[in-house]
Amino acid sequence: MIIRGEDIIIRTIARVLVPFIQLYALYVIMHGHYSPGGGFQGGVILAASMVLLYITHGYSEVNRKFSVNIAALFSSIGVLIYSGIGFLCLILLGNYLDYSKLYKLLNVDPAHARSLGILGVEIGVAFAVMAVMFSIFFDISTGGISPEDEEEKD
Amino acid sequence: MTTIMTILSILFILGGLFFFTTATVGLLRFPDFFTRLHATGKGDTLAVFLSLVGLALYEGFSLTGLKIVIIAIFMFIAQPTATHAISKAGLRFGLKPWMREEDKK
Amino acid sequence: MNSFLIAIGLALCLLVFCVLYRVVFGPGVFNRIAAISAIGTKTLVILIIFGYFYNRVEMFIDISMVYALLNFIGCVAAAKYLEDEG
Repeated sequence: MIIRGEDIIIRTIARVLVPFIQLYALYVIMHGHYSPGGGFQGGVILAASMVLLYITHGYSEVNRKFSVNIAALFSSIGVLIYSGIGFLCLILLGNYLDYSKLYKLLNVDPAHARSLGILGVEIGVAFAVMAVMFSIFFDISTGGISPEDEEEKD
Repeated sequence: MTTIMTILSILFILGGLFFFTTATVGLLRFPDFFTRLHATGKGDTLAVFLSLVGLALYEGFSLTGLKIVIIAIFMFIAQPTATHAISKAGLRFGLKPWMREEDKK
Repeated sequence: MNSFLIAIGLALCLLVFCVLYRVVFGPGVFNRIAAISAIGTKTLVILIIFGYFYNRVEMFIDISMVYALLNFIGCVAAAKYLEDEG
């Protein structure tokens, strides 16, 4: 449906702008505790940059770098980071997601360890949100069947 | 020094408001889709650039002023591209440009 | 200076209401998309003026940058979707 990419002006501008959009998304993720932002908002902006590449270049060019299978892998990695940090706190004799017990591993005082623990959890959330948003967009636009599966059926 | 910067920023913001007004009048009164795109695509871009540069001059030479200038540069690049995309979509959809009565023959 | 910025913000709000006429009554969908893009551009400037009013400019600059990005991507996506004939 949206799989044509014939316009050269929009393709060039999209290729110039996408790295800066992704850099801004990383800024929003990292400064979540200080200014509006955090994990979810940064993940949505990352997914929006992928959607911009998809609609201007077509699916077959984006597929080489970031296909739907890699998106499924990223969502699992995001959840793994989130619950992994939680279980690490549980192993170190604290409650689940009690970040202050991480100070022994990182050689900082407990207040600093809480801040770093939340930062790690936000990164996991950003991975998961980006992957899920991209796969939702892909399912809505092509009906769940990627064009290479359609070619194999013929 | 600060008085000159304040007066300059007031001039820039008033210029931006003037171009916003003319762009809106054009969007409401022009007879066809493509002519309205001329008005809003060009007028709005220049108005946003002037307004944001005026606000950055008021803020001074700090990190905040630099961020406002970055937003202005991004809008200067992205808004004409969006106008081009939607005008090309209108052309492929089949909309015909408006012509005067005596030019139709 | 504060009251001058509030007056500019009110004038821009009035212009947004004038553009709403084209969103409601524009014949066809393309006029509506162009008008929505114009509303987004004016909202961007109004947001930064709000920041001066509440004395917290840094917070509102991040929000307005995100809105500029989403306005651009939304307009390009809508244009690509509506391209086919009929």
